[in-house]
Amino acid sequence: MWKNSSLRCLLALAILCLRSLIYSQEIGSLGDPQNLKCVTHNLQKMLCTWDVSSRGRRGQTDFCYTTNDLTPQVCFKTKERRVEIPIPESSITVTIKSSGTATKEFVIHQKDISFVPITPHILSLMPDFPTSTLNLKWSDNGSVFPYGLDALWQIQILRKEPMEVVTQVTYYSKLTHEDVILSWNWTSDMPLECTSHYVKIRCYINATQFVGSKDWSDWSPTEVIPGKDTEPGESGVFPLDPVVAVGSDLTFCCVHEEDQRITNMTYGSKSYTMMQLSSRSHAIRVLNANVSNSSGTNVVCRLENAWEGSVVFVGYAPDTPQNLSCETPNFLIIKCTWKPGRPSGLYGERRTKYSLFERTSGRNVSCEVSGLNKDHVCDFPVLPAQKTYDFILGVSNPIGQAKSSLLVDITQRVHPKTPEKLTVTENNSTSIQLRWFINGSFAEIRLLCQLEISSSHSERKLQNVSTPGRKSSTYTAQVNELHPHTKYQFRVRCSDADHFWRWSDWSRGVEQTTSEAPPARGPDIWRERSPSGENVIVFWKPLSPSESNGIIVSHEVSCYLLDMLLEHKVVLEPSNSTEIKLGKSDCVISVVARNNAGSSPPSRITSVELPSDNVTTDQAVAVGNGINISWDSYPNMTCGYIVKWCHSSGSEPCSVDWQKFPSNTTSVVIKSALFKPGVRYNFSLYGCKSMGYQLLKNVTGYMKELPPKTAPNFIVEETSSDSILVKWEDIPIEECRGFFKRISSFLCKGEKDALKPRLSESGNPELKVNNITDLTKKSMKILDLQGKTSYQLELQAYTAGGLSPPNSLYVVTKEDSVGLIIAILIPVAVVVLLGVLASIFCYRKREWIKETFYPEIPNPENSKALQFQRNICEGNKTLKTLEMNPCTPNSVEVVETQSTAPKIEDTEMMSPAAETTVPEDGSESEMENHVVVSYCPPIIEEEISNPPTDEPGGSSQVVYIDIQSMYQPQIKPEEEPEIDLVTTAGYKPQMQLSISALKIEGHSPVEEELDKTAGYRPQANTNAWNMGTPDSPGSVESNNENASFGSPCSINSRQFLLPPKDDEDSPKPINTAWSFTHFFQNKPND
Amino acid sequence: SQACDSWGIFTFLCAALCNLPALPALNCSEELGAGQSIQQTYDLTRYLEHQLRTLAGTYLNYLGPPFNEPDFNPPRMARAERVPSATVDLDLWRGLTDNARLAANYRAYSRLLCYLRVLDGQVGTAELRHRLSHFCASLQGLVLSIGGVMSSLGYPLPAGPVGPPGPPGASAAPNDFLKKMDDFWLLKELQTWLWRSAKDFNRLKKKVPPAVVTLRLEARGF
Repeated sequence: MWKNSSLRCLLALAILCLRSLIYSQEIGSLGDPQNLKCVTHNLQKMLCTWDVSSRGRRGQTDFCYTTNDLTPQVCFKTKERRVEIPIPESSITVTIKSSGTATKEFVIHQKDISFVPITPHILSLMPDFPTSTLNLKWSDNGSVFPYGLDALWQIQILRKEPMEVVTQVTYYSKLTHEDVILSWNWTSDMPLECTSHYVKIRCYINATQFVGSKDWSDWSPTEVIPGKDTEPGESGVFPLDPVVAVGSDLTFCCVHEEDQRITNMTYGSKSYTMMQLSSRSHAIRVLNANVSNSSGTNVVCRLENAWEGSVVFVGYAPDTPQNLSCETPNFLIIKCTWKPGRPSGLYGERRTKYSLFERTSGRNVSCEVSGLNKDHVCDFPVLPAQKTYDFILGVSNPIGQAKSSLLVDITQRVHPKTPEKLTVTENNSTSIQLRWFINGSFAEIRLLCQLEISSSHSERKLQNVSTPGRKSSTYTAQVNELHPHTKYQFRVRCSDADHFWRWSDWSRGVEQTTSEAPPARGPDIWRERSPSGENVIVFWKPLSPSESNGIIVSHEVSCYLLDMLLEHKVVLEPSNSTEIKLGKSDCVISVVARNNAGSSPPSRITSVELPSDNVTTDQAVAVGNGINISWDSYPNMTCGYIVKWCHSSGSEPCSVDWQKFPSNTTSVVIKSALFKPGVRYNFSLYGCKSMGYQLLKNVTGYMKELPPKTAPNFIVEETSSDSILVKWEDIPIEECRGFFKRISSFLCKGEKDALKPRLSESGNPELKVNNITDLTKKSMKILDLQGKTSYQLELQAYTAGGLSPPNSLYVVTKEDSVGLIIAILIPVAVVVLLGVLASIFCYRKREWIKETFYPEIPNPENSKALQFQRNICEGNKTLKTLEMNPCTPNSVEVVETQSTAPKIEDTEMMSPAAETTVPEDGSESEMENHVVVSYCPPIIEEEISNPPTDEPGGSSQVVYIDIQSMYQPQIKPEEEPEIDLVTTAGYKPQMQLSISALKIEGHSPVEEELDKTAGYRPQANTNAWNMGTPDSPGSVESNNENASFGSPCSINSRQFLLPPKDDEDSPKPINTAWSFTHFFQNKPND
Repeated sequence: SQACDSWGIFTFLCAALCNLPALPALNCSEELGAGQSIQQTYDLTRYLEHQLRTLAGTYLNYLGPPFNEPDFNPPRMARAERVPSATVDLDLWRGLTDNARLAANYRAYSRLLCYLRVLDGQVGTAELRHRLSHFCASLQGLVLSIGGVMSSLGYPLPAGPVGPPGPPGASAAPNDFLKKMDDFWLLKELQTWLWRSAKDFNRLKKKVPPAVVTLRLEARGF
């Protein structure tokens, strides 16, 4: 059609103009088709739509299109305003001619076409409520698209009222030019029961070849999983009874009736804040859940009038079993043990379950394990003709599972059961037989059994016995080389002999005492001549338990002289010596020990004692823990040496002990646990010759030297004026406690009575010390002493262990007689001489003496005797012996310091309660009038009528210091009524007197007047007075203690005991008396 | 268990004191009379009441909060009626004959015992299981004892199956929470029944004076 190029150019220009017209039509010619849009859904065809004005809407439209110049134009008529045409490779020219309108031509390029994939459809949406999982299925419609396109699927999940997008995910797939059903799972963090979940999907296909615009498809229709809150009448807490792992985050919801108000929701004991899901559903979220308790954790939803709940079990997935080990105890079952590891925290039906699977045989055993044991055990049967087992231990619980495997050859894992029924039978005194039983069929293996043999005397011994195994049978073993008469304990355990794996447990122990056997050897013997020499004493040592082989009942002692039995003796236990009458002769002594099983071989010794000379006695002190004895070698001692000693302990005969040594010995150390320090032991060394024994040496020894117990007793045998002779006795050996070194004497001037320190310690410069080292001396003379002087003498003994306590004595030296005579004679001579001189003087002056002392006419003025007479007359001025005026009698005045003394008493004797209550009770204050102190009734009256007016003057005064003030009250008020006044003699405190006075029932008026004087009481037994003067005024009154107050009338000082008049006004003593009365009398009535 | 001991001693002393006047009539060889078996049943009821008090404390703690909270008092759900309820009107109860009351007691404890045994099998801790089975044994004793009282009074034992309808167990309660709720109600019902039984037997005791009362030394756990 288009023949030349100029035409073509013209057409192109026209098309350009047309194109521009497409966009200008809206404002241009109305009624023409406009807005041609083309969209493809499958990249093969496109749907083109256009708009037409109202004029052109009726009638048919002519639609033509051509892709290029070469292809013919395709035309068709349509009534709709949309057509589906193929997608052009580059562009397409479309001509639309509606009826009544102009023809409109459009050119559509590929880039103008938009690609929107077909809206996907959800094929299925399946919920899994226990796991809160949604499964979504849809088709990718891949068959309509070319192969290999990438498809993106956007899935949206919504929930709540109003809906909220919970999640939006994009899912990728590749289109395979086939319809493929795609599936997608989603696990909700919220149980699906809680509220409705909505799902929709759309897609986007990434067609890279397509140059036009690409877009997401529309959303698919929404699919919904309705929650329980949409179901009428449904309520509860969800999820129901879940089992979850520790640390999970959990969401629980409470679905309830529409009209019910929810109070709170708790997890365990904790309340959580709720979020509303819908009008009928609320939820809480628990983060990082802890292990629940054994019955599970309760999730409770409290409604106004109901409770809803669920129980959550939070635990751990099982640990991989550790230390899986299998062994057979009897070839019937295989016991597998393992450590379960961390507890799962789940119990009951949710507990961890174990199963044992054997791969070779394909056998499975489920294990019932108790949660109490730390090690879990599961039994698997031994299968016939199978040695190797390949075990898989499977562990599972609702949270997870684990496994552990073990390959084991059971013939190498034999752990036999504990041997039972162990019995013992005796063969003889040194051999027994053991029998035991093991349950199990060990026919294919050898058993190695271990016997434990123990006794109190020997160390534990183990004896191994290998024996072929049998089926549930009894095994035996023999034990030899036992010791007779010994209590043994036996136990047995067994294992596999060929492949040792483990010993069984020890069987129960059995005991057996072996029977007795004759003693293994003869006893160790020694003999000694008795002191008289007539008898021989035979000693033997007891045999040790290992030698005696039983209980020794007796020893048989025989005496032979050249095969002739001289004497035979049976000595019963526990004697260890016997005496044989031998006279002067000698014999061979034989001793045999005997027990119930028989006799020992004899021990022999000759009684012959060879004479010895030059026997020395040495001294020895232990070095270390034994006493060392050494001697020169005696070549002719052919059969050794014997050291014999005595364990001397005081008066009783010493128990002999001895020790034998071979003939080449020259030095031994004798040790014994019986050796004590400070005890002297005498050792004798005997040499043994074929003929007999010879004493070679004596040794005296101490284990340790101690200071002597006492000093030697000594006496002063002679005393002179300048010396004394001291003699002492030996110290008894027991008190020496060591070898004597010396004796020291200390001498010093001193009186007997004076307490002095020990002289040896006093450091007195005059101390005389004498040391006597010659121990054979038993006396000592001490010279250069002063005559008639007291000396203190001390003696002390020394050993290497120290010095003894001193022995002390006082001695007075004799007087020096010559000096004494001179001392007497000289004064006598002087007196005589003076007498002679006086006589001579008197004789010469005799005239003058006479004149002076004895004149013939005496001079009265010089008379001393007459002066005496005159003095008497002067004194007679006052001395009127015959006058009737009575002299003022000597008086005793009591100067009472009443102002202070009763006060003291008040405060001291009255309890605070009494003090406060007394003044309040006015009626009781009258009691004061009843206080009676009877005092000197008849004479006092007279004397009161004539009271001394001038007390301080004239008469002698006795100041009566108030006794009350010195009296310390010692009697508690409560105890007061119990005072036995009759028995209390001696001084009575004055106030007590008034108290006792109150007990009088009746009183004379006079007494009442006098009662205020808290009186004096004589210091004697009042009772005695009462008895002594029955007619005294007091005793007339009554027989009570008050009567005693009448008696002191005879005491001279009585009237001054009354207080002075002015003092009577003082209420205090009265008060005191009253207050006590009140206190004691009223107390019981309160 | 000090409280347990002292309670035991107290019960024993009370029993001893009650029976002191009757001691001269001590005669062990004679068969237990009705009065005696009533007294014994009464004592057993009191003992079970005491035993239940400690058991319930432990068990409710095992159930966990809110069951062990003192103010936990849920409304009784309709499905909990599987457990025989003791909440019968008191006047109605009083109006029953001795026979009917005893029969109701017998039926109730038989059924409670069945539930209790189920409960025993489900408990996770060994110690609690042990205590529950001990209580079950005691409750079994009470059922037998009530049967004894009934026969001594000449009443027939309630006939027919006494177990709960259908097999009790996991299928009974649809979920663990409701199961716990059942347990709670079971304990509560037991408590109420025991309290009521003690009153019943006390009243019955007064009606039937003991012919021969011996000093009983039952195993009381002290």
